[in-house]
Amino acid sequence: MSDERELVIQPIVTESVQHNARIVSNIRALTASLFGVAAGTLGLESYPGFLFYFIGTALVSVLVYFFKAESKPQAYFYRPIGDLWGGDMFGGLMSFVLTWTLFYGLCKA
Amino acid sequence: MAIASIALNVIGVIFLSHAVYSAYEHSLLPSTSASPSSGSYLLSVLDPKVNLPVDITIETLVSVVLLCAGVVLSSANLKPIQWNVWAGNLERSKDARATKEVGVGGGNPYAALEERSGFLDIRGEMKGFAEWKNKGGEGRIEGKKA
Repeated sequence: MSDERELVIQPIVTESVQHNARIVSNIRALTASLFGVAAGTLGLESYPGFLFYFIGTALVSVLVYFFKAESKPQAYFYRPIGDLWGGDMFGGLMSFVLTWTLFYGLCKA
Repeated sequence: MAIASIALNVIGVIFLSHAVYSAYEHSLLPSTSASPSSGSYLLSVLDPKVNLPVDITIETLVSVVLLCAGVVLSSANLKPIQWNVWAGNLERSKDARATKEVGVGGGNPYAALEERSGFLDIRGEMKGFAEWKNKGGEGRIEGKKA
């Protein structure tokens, strides 16, 4: 109820919300494949590889926080915890695994 | 900013392809599988089976970090989601006032308020429709817009 009241007092622009979500998910998709290239080249296997992905995703979140959101995530994301830090954490996982296995096969086999 | 991000991307791609090619060449060396102790300390902490030289490891990691920064910097700017900040930006910019459509970086930020159906002149619409029908239903409906 208080959430609704807050939205009436300070309305948000849905076009901007969609635009921001699209940009962040583009960044995530691109960098996830990059992390896959790195993990495959380094020859990581099983848990260290996934750990590498999550460290990389956190790094990308920090970069977006400082360079794109100008340290004010509440001005650009409706729910900063979900949309910037946690959201899309698993969205790039499949492209990560794809390039990970490809480059592991290229460099190891 | 744009030139810096393009430079970051180009440098990152060059270093990354060099690192991947080096790792590939290293995997072709006959002694690679025989000496697991030659691996770098960094990777042996993460994964004891990896035996990549430390310079290739560092080159890969640095190039990926460079590329990440390049991708983040070269992507389009985020837009403020608070209505007052967004509308204030539109009111101040001359190009945005010239644009008519809402949601493409311009237009009237209060279009949603001004075009509410509560203010629709329904009698004018009906009158226009009646005239159009009496004239035989040809051409456009000359309704008076609210």
